[in-house]
Amino acid sequence: MDFIGDPAYELKRFVENWVQDINEINARYAKPRIRMTPMVKFSLLLLRIYLVVLVLIMLYKFMTLVK
Amino acid sequence: MKIVSELFFNYRRIMKAIQLYLLLAGPGIIVMLADNDAGGITTYAATGAKYGYDLIWFLVLLGPIAYFVQEMTVRLGAVTKHGHAEAIFEAFGPFWGWFSFLDLTLVNWLTLITEFIGMTAAMSIFGVAPIITVIIVCAIMSFMVLQGKYWTWEKIAFVFCGFNLVYIPAAFLVHPSVPSVLAHGIIPHFPGGFSGELFFFLMANIGTTIAPWMVFFQQSAVVDKGMQEKDILFGKADTLIGSFFTVVVAIFVIIVTGTVLHGMNIESAAQAAVELMKTNQYAGTLLAIGLFDAGLLGAICISLASSWAFGEVFGWAHSLNHKVREAPWFYTCYLFALLSAAAVVLIPGAPLVLITLFVQVIAVTLLPAALVFLILLLNNEEIMGKYKNSLLENVIGFATVLGIIVLSTLYGLSVLFPEWFKV
Repeated sequence: MDFIGDPAYELKRFVENWVQDINEINARYAKPRIRMTPMVKFSLLLLRIYLVVLVLIMLYKFMTLVK
Repeated sequence: MKIVSELFFNYRRIMKAIQLYLLLAGPGIIVMLADNDAGGITTYAATGAKYGYDLIWFLVLLGPIAYFVQEMTVRLGAVTKHGHAEAIFEAFGPFWGWFSFLDLTLVNWLTLITEFIGMTAAMSIFGVAPIITVIIVCAIMSFMVLQGKYWTWEKIAFVFCGFNLVYIPAAFLVHPSVPSVLAHGIIPHFPGGFSGELFFFLMANIGTTIAPWMVFFQQSAVVDKGMQEKDILFGKADTLIGSFFTVVVAIFVIIVTGTVLHGMNIESAAQAAVELMKTNQYAGTLLAIGLFDAGLLGAICISLASSWAFGEVFGWAHSLNHKVREAPWFYTCYLFALLSAAAVVLIPGAPLVLITLFVQVIAVTLLPAALVFLILLLNNEEIMGKYKNSLLENVIGFATVLGIIVLSTLYGLSVLFPEWFKV
């Protein structure tokens, strides 16, 4: 109780609350509602590949800029 | 006598339908006119200055594209009663949920900065210091949301939508040659052949037509407004009218700059307004007013799209019908996004050009995901029931989404690697 009002303690509590909130959200939505048909799986796979390629391109740009 | 009574009955029926539409109108028109935000106006102004009236036909094609995407958000919002962020979490799980949410937060915040750049540049033309512009904008936007009623917010936003039409009188002031507009603008063609530069302009215009925040904003607005399945038809009409006006505004911006500034390289709408003032003071002034309004309208919608998304994901109260004490986190998010974006613009030497380019690149990481999720959700019978996409809607939807993904990705890449697109 002596810690209340201490900035470090308050910050720790704030972060803990956020982590708890995020864990609750993850638990709430853990099971996707949409049925994973081959079409949905294929679309999500394509999206993953697209994003990975895009991130790699951005990293390449960043590296060439740094050089 | 029977004919008179039938006529009267039909008249009453039509009047009632119009009254009902006016009650339900809102999200579609607002999102579509806000689509012509500061970045959009800059793109249209630069397109008109570069190619004159030659690309008007292309903008006409973009209207239906915007309609087909946004119409899906109306159905999804009205049926699920969830915003897009929440719908993604629920349907696809935490991984895609967090990805979309965090990406949206970043893109929206950066876009908000670009809206402030547009607004401060527009007001600088009238000698208003950026700090004054920022204070006025923050005061207007805070008042709009803190009054505690969605309906009032929407009607104030409508007033700003009205100002978006100032480009129409501006076009008449510069006396364009109507036969020339029709001759060059209606028939699809590529002025000077298909070059890398032309491709860049086409992609830029597509990039401004559909932005990720629009999908999230309209779905959340439909939910906040309390629209039901029975209101979907009105929501579609609202979106259709909005898409018509967004094209009209874009065409008139092109006519203004195409008439007066044809052949010039325009970097921003503010520069176009200044150049225009040299030949036509009133038209230039209207262009500057329009740019300020475009930035304001964009900022209003973008900051709300983020706050709604935060509320949906974290389960906070997140309606404009709530008072501040009832939804403190929702309003905190809104004000934080607003004030922090405003502060960045005021930092001396802030890399504002880099931020503007960065927005276009980051947007292409979110837009495909948001559109793919939209199509998948609209095809799920369990979620959408009888409102799921029909075969025709799917053909149009898939073609539209695929086209937007390819072209917006190429646009993002052309910003990163302009040398790849030099022909």
